[in-house]
Order: sequence, then C-alpha cells, then structure tokens
Amino acid sequence: MKHQSKLSQEQQAQLAGTEQQAQSTGAREFASVEEMLRYDAAHTPVPPDIAQRLQKSTGDLPAPKTSWWKRLFG
Amino acid sequence: MSEPAAGCESVEASPAGLASPEFSSLYEENNRAIYYLALRFLGDPQKAEDATHDVFLKAFRKLDQFRGEASMRTWLYRIAINHCQNLRQGWHDRHVFSNADDAVWDNAVARTDSPLRVLETKELGQRIQKALDGLSDEYRLLLLLVADEELSYEQVGTLVEQSPDAVRGKLHRARKAFAVLFEKTA
Repeated sequence: MKHQSKLSQEQQAQLAGTEQQAQSTGAREFASVEEMLRYDAAHTPVPPDIAQRLQKSTGDLPAPKTSWWKRLFG
Repeated sequence: MSEPAAGCESVEASPAGLASPEFSSLYEENNRAIYYLALRFLGDPQKAEDATHDVFLKAFRKLDQFRGEASMRTWLYRIAINHCQNLRQGWHDRHVFSNADDAVWDNAVARTDSPLRVLETKELGQRIQKALDGLSDEYRLLLLLVADEELSYEQVGTLVEQSPDAVRGKLHRARKAFAVLFEKTA
C-alpha cells in the first residue's frame, strides 16, 4: 500500500508539474479552427478609444429615430 | 504588424455616453464581434479601430432604416463586410496579392480532423493573423463569420451571398487551408 501511495504521490507531483508547465507556457488545444478563433476573439480587447470617438462623432447628430419595424413590433 | 494587447477584457469603455440607449445597447452587444471581424479581415489594429468606428457611425445614421428582416448582428456584419471589402479593394488596386488557389489546398496535407495544438497562446493572435493573411478574402471571411456562434449557416450564406450548402462545402476547404497555413506559423 505504501508503495502504491508513493507512486500516487509521484504521479500527482508529475501531473502537477505538467499542469504548471502548461499554464506557464499557455499551451492549449483547440478542437476546430472556429474554436480557436472564438478563443482569440474573447481574448482580443476592443480599444476603448472607439466608444470615445463614437461619443464625439454622434454627439452633434440628432438621436436616431426608432426604426419603423421596432415601433410596430417592439 | 502589432497586435492589440491581449488579456485586457475589462478595458472596454462604457458605452453609457453614447447617443441613445438603443444605440448604446447595440454597441455593447456587438462591438467585440465587429472589431474582431475588422481586425482579422484587415490585419491591422489601427485600420480595424477606424473601421469599427465607421461601421457603428453608419449604423447610427441608418438605425431608423433597420427593417428587422435580419438580426441586428447580421445587419451590422453586412455594413462591416461592405466597409472592409471596400478598404481591401483599395489595397488590391495598389498592390498585387497572390492568394493560393483551391488546387493548392486540395493537394496539401493537413490534419483537419485532429485538434489544433498551440504551445504558447501569447502569440496566438499573431499566428492566426498570419494564417488568415494567406487565405483568399472569401475563405477568411467565411471562417470569421462561422466562428460567431450567433450566426447560422443560413445567415452566413446570406452575408457571403452563397447557399448554406455552398457555405458548408467552402468551409471544409477553408478549414483545411487555414490548418496548413497555421502549421507553418509555428
């Protein structure tokens, strides 16, 4: 039992090391191209400047009218 | 080509100051999708930023014309695709691009059914960009749209003016081409 327990500890240490290495190197596996692109999209920040520029650009324009479709169907 | 700093998802500006609640929520729900499409389609963070601004400004001006025949996301993609393709067309007029044709991908050996493994996600964006840059505009656009889980094949087909079956067929080749090019970026 002791032997088994020791082996288990060694395996656990090895596994922990592998996981740590995977985290430190950022290794990852993607099932498909789409999954990879979704991961990339989720980790690609949108520059905050865009919202600020839009705020300025739309500031002088009249607020958009609600579309006729939305007025009819909510 | 520089990449936008990754891992900064919380830096997005609050759209609270935008002109109307309707437009604010439109921006909030779709800015990531539109920016990512522009970034990876154009391959340039500054051009993508300008394009995203211009797309939402066009949407703001045309919001009352939205007829509800498509989802807001699809409607915005339509504006974004036209805008980005116009920009790309301008570049094509000035530069010669040589995208490999389908025969190259047909003969290429790519493990499209096996997972794509990366050892370092830090440079993933750069590798993806390099691989996408090697694809035709059509394949690049197809992959980017299909990756959006909110879009069905029918909606993607409408956006690229193809039938859903044609989308599925071309998608297979696009995936294969991407896998070949992505492996080369390692």
